[in-house]
Amino acid sequence: MWSIPSYLLAGMIVYGAIGWLLDRWLDTSAFFPIGTVLGLMLAGYLAYRKFSR
Amino acid sequence: MITLTAPAHGDEFSAPTPNELFDLPPLIPGVEWFTKPVLLAVLSAILVIGLTWAAFSKPKLVPRGMQNVVEYGYMFVRDQVARPFLGKDADRFMGLLVTLFFLVLVWNLAGVIPVVQFPVASHIAFPAVLALSIYVLKIWLGIKHQGLGGYFKNMMFPPGLPKAIYVLLSPIEFLSNMIIAPFTHAVRLFANMFAGHMLLAFFSMVGFWFLFEKLTPLGAPVGIVGVVMTIIFTGFEIFIQFLQAFLFAMLASMYIGGSLHAEH
Repeated sequence: MWSIPSYLLAGMIVYGAIGWLLDRWLDTSAFFPIGTVLGLMLAGYLAYRKFSR
Repeated sequence: MITLTAPAHGDEFSAPTPNELFDLPPLIPGVEWFTKPVLLAVLSAILVIGLTWAAFSKPKLVPRGMQNVVEYGYMFVRDQVARPFLGKDADRFMGLLVTLFFLVLVWNLAGVIPVVQFPVASHIAFPAVLALSIYVLKIWLGIKHQGLGGYFKNMMFPPGLPKAIYVLLSPIEFLSNMIIAPFTHAVRLFANMFAGHMLLAFFSMVGFWFLFEKLTPLGAPVGIVGVVMTIIFTGFEIFIQFLQAFLFAMLASMYIGGSLHAEH
């Protein structure tokens, strides 16, 4: 249960970084926030599946 | 802000800065590395060794005196820290976990012991070394007990998830377990001790300044508030220090347990 914060952080970092890179390459500014929120959601889903049993 | 500035005690109250509180000069001039936290870390280690030695060098069936006290600590670590995560392997790791718990507890309590008054873990190097050694142990045990491929497979592909979503979730698992977990392990202890020391220093500074340095009719109530808050926060800080020592040992036990058995 104590690893949930590190999941949420990791999700935001992984997908935030992917979004940031996409923004740099495509010269946009929308993918970084989208990636951060998406990562948070995925990490929340992962934590839910792992710890809700 | 590399130079250690002397506290700017003009006519106005100034809160203690992190530089004043944590950037301490060496105890022996010329020996740069030998500062107060280093001395306290060594003394704490000696104290923990001495305590456990006094308690368990000649153990008796019916514990008395020192053995009684330390046995309480041992049983707390065994029942609350080791057994929930390690199960039947708990006894193998009790030496490590008891050492970790007592060492971190003494390090933290140094923050409220009068005259000493410096939590060792508020310099991140100390918790970082402990967390790093647990990290190395975690990976070594994982590879030893689950095999190199098995360890990473069990870590990155936890069972019970739909197949398609693994592509999305495996990077999160990897980053969380391999990089964020040891980092937060160290930072959680460091940040709590750092912030606690800052708070205590601030409130005692308020009390000292408004009651002793510049006693005025308007300032005196503020100083009294400062003293009262110092007392309240010292009590709160003792609780936090105990909790953080417990959490540090508990997380170490959790990581070791996760390496010994794959999740199912």
